[in-house]
Formats: sequence, structure tokens, C-alpha cells
Amino acid sequence: MRLQWRWAALKNGLLEDAAYRVEFIIGLLGSAAVPAAIQMVLWYALFHVGTGETPRTEIAGMTYSDLIAYTLVSTLFTQVRGGDHDFDLQEMIRSGSLSNYLLRPVGVVEFIYLRGIGGRLFTAGLCLVVGAIGMSLVGMDPTRLFGAMALAILGNILHYQVGAALATTAFVWEEAYSVLMVKNMLVQLLSGELIPLNLFPEKWAWVWKSTPFYLYVFGPTQYALGKWSHWDLLQALGTAGLWMLGAWLLIRVTWGLGIRNYSSLGQ
Amino acid sequence: MSLSQPVIQAQRVSRTFKSVKKKEGLRGTLELLWNPEHQEHRALDEVSFEIEAGAFVGLIGANGAGKTTLLKILSGLIPATSGSARVLGEDPFKRSMTFRKSISLVMGQKAQLWWDLPALDAFDLIRAIYEIPEKSYRERLDFLADLLDVKALFQTQIRRLSLGERMKMELIGALLHWPKVIFLDEPTIGLDVLAAHKLREFLREFNSREKATIILTSHNMEDIERLCSRVMILKTGKILYDGKPQGLIQSGERQLKVSLLETPDLPAVATLTGLAPEQLSLTSEDATEEESKPNSNHLWISLTNDQIAPTLQKLMSRYTISDMGIQGQSLERVIKSIYETESRETGSKA
Repeated sequence: MRLQWRWAALKNGLLEDAAYRVEFIIGLLGSAAVPAAIQMVLWYALFHVGTGETPRTEIAGMTYSDLIAYTLVSTLFTQVRGGDHDFDLQEMIRSGSLSNYLLRPVGVVEFIYLRGIGGRLFTAGLCLVVGAIGMSLVGMDPTRLFGAMALAILGNILHYQVGAALATTAFVWEEAYSVLMVKNMLVQLLSGELIPLNLFPEKWAWVWKSTPFYLYVFGPTQYALGKWSHWDLLQALGTAGLWMLGAWLLIRVTWGLGIRNYSSLGQ
Repeated sequence: MSLSQPVIQAQRVSRTFKSVKKKEGLRGTLELLWNPEHQEHRALDEVSFEIEAGAFVGLIGANGAGKTTLLKILSGLIPATSGSARVLGEDPFKRSMTFRKSISLVMGQKAQLWWDLPALDAFDLIRAIYEIPEKSYRERLDFLADLLDVKALFQTQIRRLSLGERMKMELIGALLHWPKVIFLDEPTIGLDVLAAHKLREFLREFNSREKATIILTSHNMEDIERLCSRVMILKTGKILYDGKPQGLIQSGERQLKVSLLETPDLPAVATLTGLAPEQLSLTSEDATEEESKPNSNHLWISLTNDQIAPTLQKLMSRYTISDMGIQGQSLERVIKSIYETESRETGSKA
């Protein structure tokens, strides 16, 4: 393992994000606050609006405070989830700017990820601190956040891997962007960042269980909130590892097939 | 690899690009959905050559001639459709780690450095990527910075640099790992005269000191004339000329300008000198505004070196010559002439 260039790429990515500090912070706050506020209004409406004298106490086994707690904690992991490096990769393939990286003696897919992930790792650290303080204040166990964050970071890597494999369609199809858009829509729905996945009807649970997306936000949130045991977390980490291995193999195959069609446009 | 062995070999290298034909208008766009029509473009057509270690080779050609495609194949960015290319004894498209560490490709229009970071941060990443020992890194950086005179700019964000300064930083980034083979695609594009001159001096110095093999494409004939010991002229994917730049100039036609006391009659001059009418003209691209006026007394004759003396003798037997001169044959003019001749021949065959 050559760690030096990986560290240098990570560091430069972070420095580049730091060049636009205010943009970075405002973007972070915006992407956390807006969906959380919408969800909280929605939960309030479900439990309190139009329910008369006796408000609902539970929906799909979750109380109002369960949903609020879910929203607040999942917001931490939603900030760690994703990144648009897979979109960057497909744009590089399409525009020909991939040529800038192809001749460097490093893996291109990994390089693109590392140079863009610095900001997310910083966010993960920030979320860990904010989350730990918040959970301590309400009497919850903050140590669970560390395990949950580890799963969320694996989820981030997996999210990129899936995106990178899909991005290779840009080698043969100019409109690969749309494939990544669809993937992101599915992730939003099936990762648990918009709604807790236990709100899905039981008979549809197989849908989210058959993708790795629930490991991004739903899994970490469940563990942080104490709904999952340590054993559940270990299983989830193992499952994430297997998905990552599969995605890595998929990237190798799709990349190997696609690169022969790369025409290095733009000159 | 010894100096006498070729470092680059191309044997009947061809490259075809396939693309979807997009017709104009809404109907054309809709047709793409159910009946996409493909077109093929042959960018390189059975190109063969060898390049020795330490050579400085210029690739010349109009837009679409195949220069950049050839560089992309030799650097390993894209594969050849047919034929074989070897660089440093390897198939470039396999892009082995040793190969990637031994070459460099600089494209004038593509930025490889980090836009929002100072060059020094980007160079540090390059040092890590190529595993350059700290001591060598410092020495090389000093050497390159001195040659290009940019040390004072190392801590300035790349986006705040001028185009010329950025290009110099790109070059440093591309050379820090001391590549054995360097591909330069339009390195002086967009640079002012001074910056282009500085860059050329730098490339010449780097080539002579480090014995790196350099292939350069450029539309700027000054780049080629000043740097390259060998030129290859490409047209529609084929090599029209491969040799020394001086060879091109010597074998080309020269232009004799003769000023007479009367306006010459071209058919009469043709008969007198025995030259073909298309070799004679009352004007020229190089003529001044005064010389281009109608009824000017200037005669422009395109001829080879051995035709100059007999032509002048015959002219002097009939006309009084007030002035004369032989235009220096620039590489640009020769290449233009080669292109025009080739086009005429292709046209007449068609």
C-alpha cells in the first residue's frame, strides 16, 4: 500500500474545500437543516393535525419522539453519505478530462474519490462531535456514535463505488448522467435519509433490504439510537464489506471494458 | 535502453473514431432515439516511423490532421484501431506503472494542477504520486523554477496566475518525475511572444541536458524551427514528410522578386524564360500595399535554386531590372505549399 500519495490527495482535497470555507459551511448547514425541518413538520402533521382530542401515539411502531430523534440523528449521517465524485468521474469520461489522470501512476477511480472525500471526512468529524454532545445532553450513550459513523463512512465509500461502476457507462453512452441521477433518487428513498425505512409496509421491506443503500443512513441511525444491537452493527459492517468487494470487482470489469471506448475528447 | 535504440516505434498505426450523426432540428434529435446513424472518421491511416532516444521531434499538421490522436496513442490514452505502437519497449495502452512513471503528456488546453491551490501543494502531491525522494524533488524543483523563472509564484493559487505562468507550472508538474519521453501538445498556445520564447528555451535546455525524447505538436512554426531536429508533417492521418526541417526548406521552391522599369506581360515573360505561367505572378502574399497596386512593375517568380541564374539572364536580355531579391523560404511557407500541392494532387485524382 502506498499511503503517501493517498494522504497527499486527501490533504489537497481538504485544502481545496477550505479555500471556500463559507460556501462549505453554508452548504453543510443548508443540506442538514432544510430536509430536517421538512421532516419535523411532516411528523407533527401526522401526529397532531386533524387527529382531534386523541392524537396518534404511534405510526409503524414509532412514536412522535422516536421520529424526531430519528430525524435529528439521521441528519448527521446524511451529511456523510454521498458526494458527487461519481458525477465528476462520468463528466471526466464524457469530456475527456479523464486524460489528466489516466497517465498518473495511481488508480484513477481511487484518486478521484480521495481528492474529493476530504470535506466529507471533516464533516464526519464535526457530526461526531455535535452528535456526541447532543446525545450526552439528552442522556443517550454517545459512544454508539463511533460505530455508527464507521458504518456511515463505509456507506460513503460504497456509494461512490456503486456510482463509479455506473459512471463507466459514460464510456459508451453520452447520457450516463441520467443513470447516476436515477441512482441518487433511489438512494434518497432507500437509504433512510427522507423517511425511516420501518415506515415501509412489511411486505415491501425486501426492496430496501436488497440494496446496500440502507447501510448509508438508516443502519447507522438505528445503531446510534440503540435500536440495533452491537451484533447487528457487526453484521451490517460485514454486509457493507461484502457489497464493497462486489462493487470493487464490478468497477474492475466495467472499467476494463469501458476504457477501450474512451476517446479522450476535447482537443 | 541505449541511446541508439528507437524509444518510439509505430508500425502501420491507424485509428478510427465512430460517432453518432446528429442531424439538425427537433426531428433530427428525435430520430436519434429510434434510428441513430453512425459515422466513421479515420484520424490516422497506417502511420509508421521510429524515433531515437533524445530526439526532439515536431509534429505538424492542420486541424484534424491526426497529430493529437497520434500523441494520445503513443502516450497510452487511447488504443490504435490497427497496427502497433511501442514506447520504451512497451505497449503504451497497457499503461504499466513503470511506463506511466517514464512518460509525460502536456496538453496546452488542459489543466492538470489544482485550480484553487498554490502550485507547491500540487507539486507535493506529484512528489508523493511518483515517489520522488525528497532531495531529488528539491533539486529538480529548484532547477525547473530557475529555468522558467517562476519561483516567486509557487505560493500563489493557480487560478490567480496568468496563462503563461500557469503553463510554466503545468510544465514543472509534468516534468518533476524526470520522464524519459515527453509528449507536448501545443505547449505555447495562447502565450505571448516572451513567454513562448522562454518556454522554448526551457524545452531546448531540458532536452539537451536530460536527453529526454520530446515530441511536440504545434501550429507555431517558430516552435518547430527553433526546437526540432526532425519534423513529421501529417495530413488527413498520413505522414507527408518525415525528415529534417532544413531538408524541407532546401528542397522547396524559392521566390524571386524582380522590379522592372515597365509592367511585364506575363505570357511574354513565360515564353522568354521557359517557365510555366503558374510560376509567374504580378503579386504575392508577401507584397507590400504599394507592390500590390495594379500595373505594378514587380514580378514574382516561384522557382528552384538551379532556375534562378538562367531565368535572370533571360529577363535581363529583354527587360531593364531596377531591383531584385530572393525571399527567404520559411518553414511555414514550405508546409503551406506542401499542403496545397497535396490537395491539388488529391483533387485531380478524385
